Amino acid sequence: MANKDEDRLLAHDYDGIQEYDNPMPRWWLWIFYATILFVPFYYVAPGFMGEGPGMVAEYEADVAAHQAAQPPAPAAMDDATLLAVLNDKDELQEGAEVFTKNCAACHRADGGGLIGPNLTDAAWIHGGTPGAIYQTISAGVLAKGMPAWDRILKPDELKEVAAYVMSLKGTNPPQAKAAEGTVDSTAAAPAPPGN
Amino acid sequence: MSTRVDTFAYDDAIVRKFLWATFIWGLVGFLVGLLIALQLANPVFNFGLEFLSFGRLRPLHTNAVIFAFAGNAIFTGIYYSTQRLLKARMFSDGLSNFHFWGWQAIIVAAALTLPLGFTQAKEYAELEWPIDLAIAVVWVAFAINFVGTMVKRRERHIYVAIWFYIASIVTVAVLHIFNNLSVPAGPLKSYSLYAGVQDAFMQWWYGHNAVAFFLTTPFLGLMYYFMPKAAERPVFSYKLSILHFWTIVFLYIWAGPHHLHYTALPDWASTLGMLFSVMLWMPSWGGMINGLLTLRGAWNKVAEEPVLKFFVVAVTAYGMSTFEGPMLSVKSVNSLAHYTDWIIAHVHTGALGWNGFLTFGMIYWLAPRLFQAPLFSKKLAEVHFWIATFGILLYVASIYSAGITQGLMWRAFDETGRLAYPDFVETVMKLMPMYWVRVAGGSLYILGMLIFGYNILKTWMARPATYEVPLVTAAPLGAHAPEPHAAPAGGLVASFTSVKWHRRWEGAPVFFMVMVVVAVVVASLAEIIPTFLIKSNVPTIASVKPYTPLELAGRDIYIKEGCFNCHSQMVRPLRHETERWGEYSKPGEFVYDHPFLWGSRRIGPDLARLGGKYPDLWHVRHMEDPRSVVQRSIMPPYAHLQRKALDFDQIQSRVDAMVMLGVPYGDAVTNAPAMAREQAQAIAAGIESQGGPAGLADREIVALVAYLQRLGRDVRQLPATASAAPAAAVAPGGGK
Repeated sequence: MANKDEDRLLAHDYDGIQEYDNPMPRWWLWIFYATILFVPFYYVAPGFMGEGPGMVAEYEADVAAHQAAQPPAPAAMDDATLLAVLNDKDELQEGAEVFTKNCAACHRADGGGLIGPNLTDAAWIHGGTPGAIYQTISAGVLAKGMPAWDRILKPDELKEVAAYVMSLKGTNPPQAKAAEGTVDSTAAAPAPPGN
Repeated sequence: MSTRVDTFAYDDAIVRKFLWATFIWGLVGFLVGLLIALQLANPVFNFGLEFLSFGRLRPLHTNAVIFAFAGNAIFTGIYYSTQRLLKARMFSDGLSNFHFWGWQAIIVAAALTLPLGFTQAKEYAELEWPIDLAIAVVWVAFAINFVGTMVKRRERHIYVAIWFYIASIVTVAVLHIFNNLSVPAGPLKSYSLYAGVQDAFMQWWYGHNAVAFFLTTPFLGLMYYFMPKAAERPVFSYKLSILHFWTIVFLYIWAGPHHLHYTALPDWASTLGMLFSVMLWMPSWGGMINGLLTLRGAWNKVAEEPVLKFFVVAVTAYGMSTFEGPMLSVKSVNSLAHYTDWIIAHVHTGALGWNGFLTFGMIYWLAPRLFQAPLFSKKLAEVHFWIATFGILLYVASIYSAGITQGLMWRAFDETGRLAYPDFVETVMKLMPMYWVRVAGGSLYILGMLIFGYNILKTWMARPATYEVPLVTAAPLGAHAPEPHAAPAGGLVASFTSVKWHRRWEGAPVFFMVMVVVAVVVASLAEIIPTFLIKSNVPTIASVKPYTPLELAGRDIYIKEGCFNCHSQMVRPLRHETERWGEYSKPGEFVYDHPFLWGSRRIGPDLARLGGKYPDLWHVRHMEDPRSVVQRSIMPPYAHLQRKALDFDQIQSRVDAMVMLGVPYGDAVTNAPAMAREQAQAIAAGIESQGGPAGLADREIVALVAYLQRLGRDVRQLPATASAAPAAAVAPGGGK
């Protein structure tokens, strides 16, 4: 119907503006009707096309469906594995990068402590064995504001950063925070040679 | 045959005033927009000044563009066209001028109070209660002036532009009044009458319909006048006007809840919001079709006439954003787009394209007529058109991709089942190049605005020494023979589709106005009544308690600094959200939240589960200098919170206002300042013992830390499934 000259003008005009008595475009009307029909359809349609069981039920189903894909709960790590990482220069370097990116904000870039405790002295609040340090990092200390990093860092990164933290011991950075916790006599982790 | 003919003149002086206000406030609004765009690209542009920080300026930008720029543009066009369409001078020049000066005073009040941190924390309704009252008064004056003009009109029937003006005027009044109901707690401080879920519902009933009845229907009215005028072509279809007008008025009102998909708003409301938004698609497009098809046979003029070029892009932008709106309202699309820049891109397609370009086209058309001199340069208008069009393209292309990028990053899981981007800042950094492109696009748009201003100014300078005031003659209404209303042949359907009934309505503007009110009120109540009455909407959570007096003071600081402009407090029940933030938010958590602070854009992380996540000292350091704790953060610094003394005495009046709203405050009813001092001392001592600065017990930062540490605490004591407990609903509050 575009450009047909039999557009019929309506009799009125407003400040010189006139109007045609054209019918509404048919495609426009049909789409409008379709969107109206979509309303009852949405309430009865199954699955993803319809309203479904509601957002909470959908969420719970989604969580259940992905249960298997969840990363395993933080497992204990044996001291020997961590000590091996401590002696691997490349892995230790990776650990340093993870530390700078994630830990330095609270523990200071040199580990001397800021918001969180000093990591360079001999005292440990949550245990100073390699396994305990790894555990503290991976599970966090939620009551004190230390996040559980196992949901954020990958397993290798966890090991590397734990080893890097062990390597900080005895580095004596200037103006470090006072020691907190107890000196753990079982704590291994002497600084590797040449560090 | 005519017994009497009136001779009168139109009031164009008032139109000229609104025209200049449109330009000036538009420029201000755009420049503030540019500044906050720069702030997102690099936080140094906050200049370390509280008055210029993003959280304070973002509402200034939105308010300036919506109510100052678009508002004055609407009034410019309405005052010009209404007089001519009704063949009558405005009812009262006094009311016209009261409207003009009152509106400008409100804008100035907004420009002062928003940077100072006086805000109700509801989007596009930030202005505090005294200014809200002033808005109501000025709006009513405008309405009286408009209705009075209709009553003394000399044109029997009202044209479609007038229908849209009527819908805008009455609906904005209803929206404004009911969303802003609040209890004052000081000269420039109030708490919303509604809390939590209900407050969110009311806000987005308002917020969505502010878009509808401030940025859509009045501009459609302007389009229906200025498009056929400029094209010198009849409007394509009168019937289409009727159907799309009434369906817009009735359907738009329901769509608000689509701003709250996957929040604690109940499913039924969310679903209605989506379905009505989908139904709105064609009614909205009715306006675009009627606009573009009016240009049939006049496309050759579009090539030569910048006015029509602006109109074509405006209507096209309108069509795009009213297709996108229904699409974004579909829940699955919304789950990706919500909280991201996609929404920002969407509104800028509408604001820069539809509202901006329609305004520019209208003013280019009006300027020679109002200033009685030819437009200074058509060529410059062309340049403005192309620069601004390119600016819009840069803006929206970059911000669409920013929104989609960030939305996809938030929801991505890696192969180990962890979030692929657990570090929120990483998802922000990815957007930086696009934020700079936005700055470039916005700058081009502003450059166009300056060219526009220069062109209009030069036109004005060529005006005659005194404006000619042409006299108009028209017969008063009584002298007209009423149009014959022959009964149409056929049955009920035929008589309905003949739309003769509508023609009669057009001859009775006050009745017409009543019908609009009926449509708007019926549609509103259909959602509002169940939202407030169905108790299972908000299952009570026993462990949720009111904020302590200090936390309440901290919450007020959070509001004052505009933190909600960048931080949501609403974890959606989506797996990546609960993985990132923690347990999803429940309706019962917000029963004491006057106003709700769910937020609409996550420029920074969600804070619903922030309490206890970091030590107090972390917050102190972070507020002082965000980048000392989160290296690449783009948050402005809030060092002044450590300097500024907390007004403990004021806390009592704040608690009292909350008590009036039904929040069970117990001992705090008489003892709030002392309780606040005690809690502040404890927090300050803790900060000091952690190695932080001493002497913070009487500073604002302590209250803010108290509030931040409270967020999400009340429900954390619950087992994870308690939320789904049966609705043994007790109305929130009520306790004394």
